[in-house]
Amino acid sequence: MNNLLKISKIEKRYNKNTVLNDISFEIPNGSIAGIIGPNGAGKSTVLNIITGFETFNNGEILLKNEKIYSFEDKMSKFSYMPEKLDIYPEFFVKDFIYFIQKTTKYENNELLKKLNLFSVQNKKIKTLSKGYKQRLKLFLALNNNKKIVILDEPFDGFDPIQLMDILELIKSENKNKDKTFLVSIHQLYDAEKICNYYVLLNEGFVIAQGNINDLREQFNITGSLESIFIEALK
Amino acid sequence: MRSFYLLLLKEIKEIFFSKTTALFLIILSFMIGYSFYSAVSLYSNASVSAINNPLYATGFEPNIGVFVPSFGGLFLLFSLFLPFIIIPLISLEKEQNTMSILVQIPFSFNKILLSKFIASFLFLIFVFLLETPSLIIWKIYGGHIPWTEFLLLNLGYLFYGIFIISISIFSASIFKSTASASISSILIVIISWIIDFGKDMNISPLILTISNWTTTSRLNFFEQGIFSFSSIVYFIVLFLFFIFLSRCFLDIKFRKKYILFSIITAFLGIITIFYFNFNIDLTESNRNSFPKNITNALLKTPKITIDIYMRREDSRFKDYKDSFLDKLSLIKRNVEVNFMKGKELKDKYGLFVYKINNKFQKTYSNSEEEIFPIIFKLSNIKLQKIKESDKYQGYPLIVKKARLNIISYVYYLFVPLLFLIFYFTRIKFRASKN
Repeated sequence: MNNLLKISKIEKRYNKNTVLNDISFEIPNGSIAGIIGPNGAGKSTVLNIITGFETFNNGEILLKNEKIYSFEDKMSKFSYMPEKLDIYPEFFVKDFIYFIQKTTKYENNELLKKLNLFSVQNKKIKTLSKGYKQRLKLFLALNNNKKIVILDEPFDGFDPIQLMDILELIKSENKNKDKTFLVSIHQLYDAEKICNYYVLLNEGFVIAQGNINDLREQFNITGSLESIFIEALK
Repeated sequence: MRSFYLLLLKEIKEIFFSKTTALFLIILSFMIGYSFYSAVSLYSNASVSAINNPLYATGFEPNIGVFVPSFGGLFLLFSLFLPFIIIPLISLEKEQNTMSILVQIPFSFNKILLSKFIASFLFLIFVFLLETPSLIIWKIYGGHIPWTEFLLLNLGYLFYGIFIISISIFSASIFKSTASASISSILIVIISWIIDFGKDMNISPLILTISNWTTTSRLNFFEQGIFSFSSIVYFIVLFLFFIFLSRCFLDIKFRKKYILFSIITAFLGIITIFYFNFNIDLTESNRNSFPKNITNALLKTPKITIDIYMRREDSRFKDYKDSFLDKLSLIKRNVEVNFMKGKELKDKYGLFVYKINNKFQKTYSNSEEEIFPIIFKLSNIKLQKIKESDKYQGYPLIVKKARLNIISYVYYLFVPLLFLIFYFTRIKFRASKN
C-alpha cells in the first residue's frame, strides 16, 4: 500500500513541557490505522495536530507527499471525530441530522440505518445514552465524501454487541467507500479487531509502527498486540 | 448559500428559544412598563399647570419627558444582561467543542462569526419591537411623537446594543468558559462607567478628555436629540475593532501582528474622528442650539475667534460651555477658541474676547444675552424677530389615572404572558413530536 499521510518530526511543547518528541510515522492508503498507547501518551494531541485543531512547534505533515498547511485545507480533506465533543445537547436528533445532511449536502440514510439512529430521532441529544451519543458522533464523521477519517477513541461507551456492529460499519466504509481510517484506541483488544496498521505511542514518542507481522518480526514475538506493546515498552 | 441560511437559522433558534432570552424579555417588559408608567404619570402631573400657560408649555417635550426615561432602561439592560444571551452562542460551542463540527462542514470562521452576529442583531431589533405598545398607548392618550428625535434615540440604543454584542463576542472568543467571558464583558462596560464617574468627580484633566470618548457619553448625544456623526463612526469603529479581534482569537493560530494592527488602526480611527466633530441638533424645540432667528444670523456671520481667559475647570466656564459654546459648535463650524495661558491668563482672568472681521470686543459676561449683541454688532448683522409659527409650542398632556392602567395591563400582564406562552408552547410542540 502507498503511504497516504506522512507525519514527519512533529514536536509539540506546552511552555517548556514537551509532549510530542520528533514523532514520525506514515499511514498507508486504504488502511485502518490505530494509534495505540496508554492514557497520556499523546494520542489526542497527535490527532488534533494532524487535523489542525492544535498548532505544533516543529515538523511537517504531508498528504500524498505534499505539505498540507492551511486549516481550511485540512478541514476539506479530513473528517474528524474528537473525543471531547458534546453535540448540541438541546437539539433533537432529527434536527441535528437534518442540519448536518443539508449543510454538508450529503445524505446517506443507509448510514443512519446502520447506526440505528432512526429509533432515537425524536429525542433530545442530551437524553441519549453514551452509546447513542457515540453513534451520532460517528454519523458526523462518516456522513461526507472525505477519504480520510480520523476518530479519537470512537469505541468508548459501546457494549460488546454494539461494538461488533460499529466495527463492521467502519470495515465496510473502509472497504466499500475507499476511506482510510486513523483511529486512536487505548484498548488493545479492540484495536486488534479492527486495525491493519499500528502506530505505538508512549510518553510522546513513537515506539513502533507497522502491520501486525512487521511488529511481531521487529520484537520477535508471535503473540497478541498486547504482548508486543508490553515488549515495546521495555 | 443554503448552508449559511441553515447555520443562521440554528443561531437564531439558539438565541430566541433559550430560557435566558425568555427571562430577559420578561424583565425588559416589566422595566419598560414601569418606566413608561412613571414617565407618563410625571409628565401628566406636571402638565396640569402648563396646559393653559403657553410659556410654561414650551418646556414639555415628549422625547426628553417620556421616551428617554421610558426606554433609557435599555442602556442598563443591554450593559448588564445582553452579554448573558450573546456569549453562550460562542462559549458553549467552545465548551462543548461543537465548533469542530461547524468548521468541518466546512464553515469558515468568518461565516460562523457572521451568522452569530446576524442572529444577535435580529434579536436586538426584536427587543426594540417592545417599544411599539408604548407608542400606540401614547398615541391613544393623544400624545405627540417627535419621530426624528425618537428614531435618533433608538438609533443610539441600537448602536450601543451592537457595541455590547461585539464586546460579548470578543469576550467569548477569548475565554473558554461562559462565566469568565460574561464577567470580562461586563467589566469593559463598568470601566466606561468608572471613567464617567471620574469625570463627574473632576478627578483629573486626562479623565475629563477620555470621558468624552466613553460609550455612555457618546450615547448621550442620541438621548439629547443631537445627530452626532463622530459618535456614529465611533460606534462603528469600536464594533469593527472588537469583531476583528474576535476573529483573531477564534482562529487556531494566534496572530499577534493582526491584533497589533487592529489596535493601532482603531486608535488612529478614533483620533481621526475627533477632528470630524460634525453634529446637528434634531430636536423640534432646538433645545441644544439657539432659536431659529439666532441660528440663521449666526450662520451668516464670518469666522468667530474667541479668546478665553479662564481655566476649563472653572464653574463659570462650565456654564458658558453648556449654555453657549457647545450650542454654537452645533450650528457653526468656523469658530476658533483659544485658551489663554501664563501671565496673560493671570492678569485678565475671567475675560472673553470676541474677534470678527479684524474687530474685537471684550466682556466678562458668560451669558448668551450679552454675547449675541456683541457678535452681531461685530459682524454687522441685524437680528430678525422670530416668527410666532417658528416658536416651539410644547406638548403638555394630561392623562387620567384610570387610563394609565392600560400600561400596566400591557407590560405587566399581556406581553410577559405572550413570551411565556411562546416559550412553553414551543417546548410542548417539540415534545408532542416524540
